[in-house]
Amino acid sequence: MKRNIDLGVLFSRSGTYSLLGEASLTGALKAIVQVNANPALNIAFRAVARDPQGNVDAYAPLCEEILRDSDARHVIGCTTSWSRKEVIPALERADGALWYPVPHEGFETSDRIVYTHACPNQHLLPLLGHAFARHGTRSYLTGSNYIWGWEMNRLAREIGMRAGGSILGERYLPLGSVDVARIVVEIAEMRPDFVLNQLIGPSQYAFLQAMADLRARDPHFAQGNCPVLSCNLTECELPAIGAAAEGVIAAGPWFCGMPDLAQGTTGRNFGSSFEAVAHASVMMLARLLHGRPGAENWPLAQLLALPQAAQMGIDARTHHTSLPVVIAQVQDGTFLPLKSMGPVAGDPYLTLRQEPPRPALRVVP
Amino acid sequence: MIRRLQIPELGGAHAAVLHRPHATVLALTRQLEAIGLQVTSYWPELPVAARGVDYLFLDVDPAYDDQFPWPAGAAPMPTIALVGSEAPGRIEWLMNFGADAQILKPVGTAGVYSALLIARATFDARAEMADSITSLRARLGQRQTVVRAVALLAARCKSEDVAYDQLRAMAMAWRVSFEEAAERIVSKAGQQESDHG
Repeated sequence: MKRNIDLGVLFSRSGTYSLLGEASLTGALKAIVQVNANPALNIAFRAVARDPQGNVDAYAPLCEEILRDSDARHVIGCTTSWSRKEVIPALERADGALWYPVPHEGFETSDRIVYTHACPNQHLLPLLGHAFARHGTRSYLTGSNYIWGWEMNRLAREIGMRAGGSILGERYLPLGSVDVARIVVEIAEMRPDFVLNQLIGPSQYAFLQAMADLRARDPHFAQGNCPVLSCNLTECELPAIGAAAEGVIAAGPWFCGMPDLAQGTTGRNFGSSFEAVAHASVMMLARLLHGRPGAENWPLAQLLALPQAAQMGIDARTHHTSLPVVIAQVQDGTFLPLKSMGPVAGDPYLTLRQEPPRPALRVVP
Repeated sequence: MIRRLQIPELGGAHAAVLHRPHATVLALTRQLEAIGLQVTSYWPELPVAARGVDYLFLDVDPAYDDQFPWPAGAAPMPTIALVGSEAPGRIEWLMNFGADAQILKPVGTAGVYSALLIARATFDARAEMADSITSLRARLGQRQTVVRAVALLAARCKSEDVAYDQLRAMAMAWRVSFEEAAERIVSKAGQQESDHG
């Protein structure tokens, strides 16, 4: 006999990052169906879904609504860091927990949140290490004008300077803006070794299109030269970008064709790491709640202290997970892995004294 | 000018918490450990051995000077105040204690990391400023010596401006500070006087 447990689901299906929200939602719903159909798990989830429609101010009230109007104590949701920070007070007031299944910029370990996608030591640092070794250390930084882009680029600047590199430029666009011309003009003039792109949604799509146009008219930027790097581009956005995505190099814990992230499940055929990680998050929660009546109302710390949480790669100290690190490049419309590492433990404050990535070639005076 | 933040090495750093056993200590310890620090809590007094820690968090509400093995305002590490009561008397004590950052109680998961960064930056800036104030004071104290040295040299060359330039040239030749050169002139003159006497 399965016990029924409400599970909050809080992703945006419209707005500037709807493709990401949809991918996370799909993964979470696939896992819920799978849990409910699995006779070996004695729980069943009932999704209590709300759609903030990409409006940052809708997240906190909707999260509160889930926690108030249902029995859900766990919510899977949020895409942007901004929205995640918005729901923390609601989680604290209502004694709720958030499973946050998308890449983030680190420097946060809320005791109300489990961070199940990659943080900088699992995406940005290995990606920069790869770029320094293969393309050089002269970079151009760009991003959307909010904390993800700012902090990722600050880190990239710090790591780049430490590696003896230089930052040729740094520019931001408001969320949703497609006014990319000035950025591309600067890149065309400055000719960096690579571009670190933390733009999201339509800004990124417009930027990649403008870069493709530049590659077509300036041989210096021919395919293979001056690649665009991303820490959150996945298959779920490739259809929106089309051929302009060719050559983009991204870091992530999973790309299409790799084995499932969730232990004990195979062949789910996810569309992207957003989907795969949302799925894995719900599966992890299900395994923690299975066979423990009432555990859905335990404090998150108690749940994560279970030996099973550590076995699944969740660190009770940081609330971050161990994940594979894969660097992949878009070729013929799909991501082709260039390099795989891991699994690597999440290190949100970069304090585990892991060696920063260094360029493989250095000028010896 | 933009100040670029120097992020301190926090992995493995040692933090002391001076607070009675309490939920605040648990929340703070949890957060510090998540960031990567080692934590020891003390109560009611901080032992001399704790002078070696990298950061100190202290409960301001019941705090008094004798809890600390150093005089008020002379903490040897960055300190972070845990503030509950905002009574002016407590804030006055805190100002004299000289904390580098503060966190309002109750302590949650937010605020600890930024307090560590701000406390370290403030402490280092304060130490740097104290150093330059000490050296400025020393130079100020030597002003009288400079005046005497210039007067001695001016007695020979008839002009204070020339004497000043001479003293500067001597300092450069001897590779010492202007004040140090003046000190040498004055003490040499003193010696000559006593030789003649």
